[in-house]
Amino acid sequence: MSGKHGHKPFEGHMHDYEAHIKAVEEDLEYYRAKRFEPRIFYLLRRGVVTFSDLLKARMALKRKNKFFKPRKPQGKNIEARVRYLEEWLDEYVKGIALVSAHAVESMDMVTEDNRKERGDYDDFFKLKKKEHHGTLERRMVNLEQDLKDYQELLEVFIQALINRGWSTRNELEQRWKQLHEERPWAGGVIVAKAWTDPEFKQALLTTGREALREMGVHQGKVGKLVVVENTDSVHNVIVCTLCSCYPYDILGDTPWWYKHESYRTKIVQNLRACVEEMFQLKIPASKEVQVYDSTSDVRYFVLPQRPAGTEGMSEEKLAKLVTVDSLIGAGYALEPSQQKESEKFGATPEAPRVRPD
Amino acid sequence: MVAAENPTGNPRTPKYIRGKRGIVGLVHGVLENVRDHRGIHQPLYTVRFDLSEVSTCHDQDSIWVDVHEEWLSGVRPDS
Repeated sequence: MSGKHGHKPFEGHMHDYEAHIKAVEEDLEYYRAKRFEPRIFYLLRRGVVTFSDLLKARMALKRKNKFFKPRKPQGKNIEARVRYLEEWLDEYVKGIALVSAHAVESMDMVTEDNRKERGDYDDFFKLKKKEHHGTLERRMVNLEQDLKDYQELLEVFIQALINRGWSTRNELEQRWKQLHEERPWAGGVIVAKAWTDPEFKQALLTTGREALREMGVHQGKVGKLVVVENTDSVHNVIVCTLCSCYPYDILGDTPWWYKHESYRTKIVQNLRACVEEMFQLKIPASKEVQVYDSTSDVRYFVLPQRPAGTEGMSEEKLAKLVTVDSLIGAGYALEPSQQKESEKFGATPEAPRVRPD
Repeated sequence: MVAAENPTGNPRTPKYIRGKRGIVGLVHGVLENVRDHRGIHQPLYTVRFDLSEVSTCHDQDSIWVDVHEEWLSGVRPDS
């Protein structure tokens, strides 16, 4: 695996190290301050775990009991080190999934509790995110330290849950294994089928998840799914201004910029300028742009327009033209020539990681 | 019309549409989403607002927001 978190609009290659590091920094702080630490606060407040539990777990934590086994970077060059940080981040994200509400059922916590706890509705509760400065080298060294520190707290927290009897090591180890199973990315497959099969397209646009079941694609279960179609007169853009709602159960890991405050505020305040600035996408004045602001009960994605020059192409080939950006409205599906170009440079964006529920 | 405030309503109603007028685009009814929140919210609508109503943009673009029934008033069938 590589570069899953390094995904940046129009770019999946490794040439721009700064962009990759920026993506890791943003994602790491997001997962710490939005997904993990608010959960600890929630459970601390209710005595599900206590500070003393954490201290005791820290003292008793043995190396062999840690879920994440760090390994050395595969080389000293910058590319290997960037990949190493990306892989580590990925393990951290999996670790958080390991102790998520539905994994440890008895903790009785729902997503909405986490939103309250992390200050989505009240700035008072917001956890400060760390800022990153200095040379690229400095930032990489800092990131490595942060990953180490954050991972440590996560391991201690897991140990405390086990000690308290909220879960067993066996259960967690099984889930940890599941979390490492690769799942195919359905985004391209769904869109390619909709481009070639009018009946399926109609079903997808009107029934959402139902249509996916017919197709045998993993249909997820995070809220209702609505698919909105781009046409010659309408371009759709998806955002979640309150947090970062996204059909991740179907489309995989959310791109970091989708969760970033700059995207979430600018897209409403100055839509066309935002899209042009962030994604170099100039939407023709003749098109109406429809922004969909997702609020958890409904998850949206865009059905992009089929690019020109793709007549007669197989579904398999068409699926390769579909980018994550095009499903959010931050880009168009690639034209065959663009796709060939990026393949030539080894710059094919990797599909995002889809994790088991 | 979206209420300007509604302390007991679903907090997931963005501030920028509060007190604004929009057009109901999609009717979802009551959705169950047990992983996300406890209990069941009132019926959900996707409401269309002119972007110029909610931001400084002055063009033909629109924003569609999911709003639960308790935030809405004066919902009428399309004439």
